Amino acid sequence: MRKFFAVVKREYLQRVRTKFFVVATVLGPLMMMLVTVVPIYVANIEVGEATRLAVVDQTGKIAGRFREALARERDEDDVEADPNSGGIPANSNRQDQMKRTAELSSQDFHVEEVALANRPIDQIKRELNERVRANELDGYVVIPADILEGGKAEFYSRNTGDIFTRQTVARRLSTAVREQRLAEKQIDQQVLREVNRRVTLSSTKISERGEEKVSGSGFMMVFSFGLLIYISVLMYGQIVLGAVIEEKETRIAEILFSSMRSFPLMMGKLIGVSLVALTQLSIWALAFGLFAAFGVGMLAAQGVPITLPHVAPIIFVYFVLYFLLGYFLYATIYALIGSMVTTTQEGGQLAMPVVLMLVAGFYFVFPIIRSPNSSLAFWASMFPFLSPMTMMVRITTETPPVWQIMLSLGIGVATVVGLIWLASRIYRIGMLMYGKKASIPEVWRWVRQE
Amino acid sequence: MESLNPTLVIDQVTKKFGDFTAVRNLSLQVRPGRVFGLIGPNGAGKTTTIRMIVNITVPDSGRIELFGETMHTAMQDRIGYLPEERGLYRKMKIGDQLRFFAELKNLTGKEADERINSWLEKLQLSKWKDKRAKDLSKGMQQKIQFITAVIHDPELLILDEPFSGLDPVNVELMKQTILEKKDEGKTIILSTHQMEIAEKLCDDVCMINKAEKVLDGRLREIRHSFARNAVALQFEGGDGVLNNTELVASVRQNGDDTEVLLAPQANPQTLLKQLIVSGAIVKKFEQVEPSLHDIFIEKVRETS
Repeated sequence: MRKFFAVVKREYLQRVRTKFFVVATVLGPLMMMLVTVVPIYVANIEVGEATRLAVVDQTGKIAGRFREALARERDEDDVEADPNSGGIPANSNRQDQMKRTAELSSQDFHVEEVALANRPIDQIKRELNERVRANELDGYVVIPADILEGGKAEFYSRNTGDIFTRQTVARRLSTAVREQRLAEKQIDQQVLREVNRRVTLSSTKISERGEEKVSGSGFMMVFSFGLLIYISVLMYGQIVLGAVIEEKETRIAEILFSSMRSFPLMMGKLIGVSLVALTQLSIWALAFGLFAAFGVGMLAAQGVPITLPHVAPIIFVYFVLYFLLGYFLYATIYALIGSMVTTTQEGGQLAMPVVLMLVAGFYFVFPIIRSPNSSLAFWASMFPFLSPMTMMVRITTETPPVWQIMLSLGIGVATVVGLIWLASRIYRIGMLMYGKKASIPEVWRWVRQE
Repeated sequence: MESLNPTLVIDQVTKKFGDFTAVRNLSLQVRPGRVFGLIGPNGAGKTTTIRMIVNITVPDSGRIELFGETMHTAMQDRIGYLPEERGLYRKMKIGDQLRFFAELKNLTGKEADERINSWLEKLQLSKWKDKRAKDLSKGMQQKIQFITAVIHDPELLILDEPFSGLDPVNVELMKQTILEKKDEGKTIILSTHQMEIAEKLCDDVCMINKAEKVLDGRLREIRHSFARNAVALQFEGGDGVLNNTELVASVRQNGDDTEVLLAPQANPQTLLKQLIVSGAIVKKFEQVEPSLHDIFIEKVRETS
């Protein structure tokens, strides 16, 4: 047992002390921050001054309402933010998030009405163009005389790439035109607002445990769980591969085998590296927890609204279970491959099918997020090489019956046990064979021989 | 010494890899407290034999008995093994590395630490303790590797090419260390191609060629049995004496010495007399026993 623990300890300490581990561990949460918080934050930065708009109103009736509409904080036409979150749900997809953020950040407009004074429209436009070029204006809107019927207007600006301003202008102008149309039909604004008020939909998830308030495990959340399993299994599988090849290449294997049996050696290695992975994941979880506890509040205080999805604790338990399952499945295969090859390059080649299998598991995530109870989802979450990702996704979207989870874990554990049995027969012989790569028939012979 | 049970008995051992027979019907005994030389050309089956002794591989047939017992895993802790192909974890600090290997031999951390320090000091490597293996020269790595083989004070020490990559000073240091181990009563199996060193260190020798034993016994007796009618000479003049085929079988120059292999029935004294008669000035006249090197080459030729 001392020998086994010596191996576990060595694998663990040697890896945790590396710069790579420290960098990856620190960079992980930073990267997550970078892709989730920073876009929101940046989009929120107010670029100081108000947008200066000129309005050329050929109807003479719209400009006033338009100015008023622009001055309003929010418009009926704007997308309603999720009433449950009162901010930007972190689990919506990112494009959406950015759009909403931009909309929420109130943009100031300085509106100037251009007197027509019977001048031809072309002349006015020329003058305004000059002013835009001279940076006295940011843009102008030309409202044609027939806007109430035609519903078309023109927007000229220095920066047409600023879709946010364009959208706001379009929406507020629509509002202004609609109000004018209604006014002409003698309908009271107040009545109209009443009539137009939207329905808000609050969603409640029905789970095994009965009704639950919105769990909020939206696309982003589910996706990140799948992604995290995929990345960590791949990363730590490769670490095992590298470790095994190092021992073979440097012939350390010879000393190891002259001191202990191959089975505890291989298990010690697998377990040691798994502890490294769990350490890293725990640090990440802790960072996430701290962010949830303090970071969100701090950002909110700075005017960056963000809500983290609520995740049931049991999901973290499942996550660890499925991570370990995926890790032991793939790392055992990697250890096997490492013992069969002679160089890292060869190892990479032979590991390709394994990586493809992992990638396949990752791609299954998408159809399963859409229909987590389909038969495809069921079978994919029973197949051990896919289940770490697919079942995790199912659990976070629509938790399947417990028997399904247990069955998939059972199949997975049985596969791991079988693989380790197979690997331990090949490992020792493979590790002591130098000079050439072992062929599959040869390896099969070893399995039967031992 | 003779009455003691042998440390190692290899009895009729055969090991095959597929169609290739690496070791065929090998039998040998290693007695305690002696340095046993396992020699033979490359690919003769030495490493395979050693691997079976340290229980890395198992013989297909035959029996290996160590310390009077049939081989089992726990015995690995009583053997120290310096493999020919050596390796250290490149990025691991020397101290950590030695401690790891000591733990693999069932030493506790505390025991290990004390021994590591004393060994590092002995082999003049103390200041490298916190360096990584990749920062050490080949010779230094070699010495570190040697420490991993002796750290648990094994009763049987198996050294496969322990001198390769060492400078003369370190070769001497290594030789001293090996002899110290012998004086402590440890049994040592030494496999090397460096015949001059083997000659000086080994008490017994076993030579393997093409998977089979071709020679086995006490080194002194082997050399004696190979003693040919040969003399080493240094002389001036005396031309023609060495051309006498009744007296001389072959002549070979070896540095300053002329080595003369006498004809089967010839008497060395006759040669000396003839040389003096012919007016040669003889500076050196010495009857020689064959070196292990010569025996090695002769045996390899014979069995090939």
